[in-house]
Amino acid sequence: MNSTVKVSGLTVRHRRRTALDSVDLDFGPGVHGLLGPNGAGKTSLIRVLSTAAAPDAGRIELLGSDVGAASDHRARAEVRRRLGYLPQEFGHYAGFTVREFVAYVAWLKEMDSTRAAAAVERAVDRVGLADRIDSRMKTLSGGMVRRVGIAQAIVNEPELLLLDEPTAGLDPEQRVEFRALMRDLGEHATVILSTHLVEDVVTACEGVTLIEAGRVAYRGTTRELAALGKDGGQDERAGSPIERGYTTALRSHRATAGAR
Amino acid sequence: MSLPVLYLRSRALPRTAAALACTALLAAWAAHWLQAQPHLTHGARVPVLALAPLLASSAIGTSLYAAADELDRTAVRRWWPRRLAHLLALTVPAAAALALAVPGHPEAFGAPGMVRNVLGATGVAAASAALIGARLSWLPMTVYGGAVYLAAPRTPGGAASVWAWPMQPGPQVWAWAVASAAFAAGAVLYAVRGARRERD
Repeated sequence: MNSTVKVSGLTVRHRRRTALDSVDLDFGPGVHGLLGPNGAGKTSLIRVLSTAAAPDAGRIELLGSDVGAASDHRARAEVRRRLGYLPQEFGHYAGFTVREFVAYVAWLKEMDSTRAAAAVERAVDRVGLADRIDSRMKTLSGGMVRRVGIAQAIVNEPELLLLDEPTAGLDPEQRVEFRALMRDLGEHATVILSTHLVEDVVTACEGVTLIEAGRVAYRGTTRELAALGKDGGQDERAGSPIERGYTTALRSHRATAGAR
Repeated sequence: MSLPVLYLRSRALPRTAAALACTALLAAWAAHWLQAQPHLTHGARVPVLALAPLLASSAIGTSLYAAADELDRTAVRRWWPRRLAHLLALTVPAAAALALAVPGHPEAFGAPGMVRNVLGATGVAAASAALIGARLSWLPMTVYGGAVYLAAPRTPGGAASVWAWPMQPGPQVWAWAVASAAFAAGAVLYAVRGARRERD
């Protein structure tokens, strides 16, 4: 597999708490789900991969360039042009319309300004907000703001797309559309999607990485994780196979981690 | 729709420029009015020199707020030259406009003292934006400036030229040293670190 994302020994600390503890991971093109309990370190991982935050230790190689703490600015700049990032929370500037906000991000990415205007319209259209493109951001509902967030992340047709809780606030129909968009993008790009909604992963992702307490608890395909859950019995109340697989993988990781 | 325009609008530049223009006009009017009073001289312009820079630095400090800070971090270009340019593009015209508001008497409370106070106050505001966040960046300098205005001794010089630098006449060397150091420190701190992240 040609890996577009390679990290090794990645460690992130917040004050004294260790958010990521010497994590080794790699991802190639396709859609990858990042699952884990709240506070497991998913957001820390996405933030470091997006180059928004620097790691405390470890190596990060994105799209063939080293962008870890010691790397130079030029490599990081080169990667940032080809990277899309939806933070868990992103503010927006007062008085900006959807078009202006997405164009601002296109400007941050140093997109060619002759190409940017069309790219902005295409990105907004892809998240189904073409009719609201000239509405002010503050007049949008929560789910719409989330979709604008997805639009700004894909405006530069990124080769690496990092999405932190992209489906929060989306209604079921929008989620279905979102997953279709992800599958579409995943044909060429590496998409890493952090979520705590297992059903997002089932329908949109091929690979699953489970993170728990700053460590990788499980890696496999969606199918493999679901198969893990089949052993948990056929009790409907215990959740879908993938949910049971998630719980099983988490528990067995905790058991071995506790034994160490 | 040119793109740097979006950057300027994102940092509320039109609003800040308007606030600075109003401050300069208000200062000019107040200085003129104070001097026109029959029992007052140009020395009565001290409150203008002490207070107008506080207003100007508050406007500049709060304009350093970046609402989409997390996305800004992933910008291709380095931020520090932009931040520095942003700070200078506001501070230099503000200092110039306020200097014009207090014509004459450079040896006392005139244009040099005004420029020094704008630099010093803006430096403290920029440092505050980097350390406590842009939206409250006006607070430390306002508290300090207010306290110094009330507490400074009537005779300039001595130790007071260091701690009460906003209340010194124009040529005081130590007052200039403190104000310049404050501006340099604030500008560097803000350029390197940016405004501290704030939650809505």
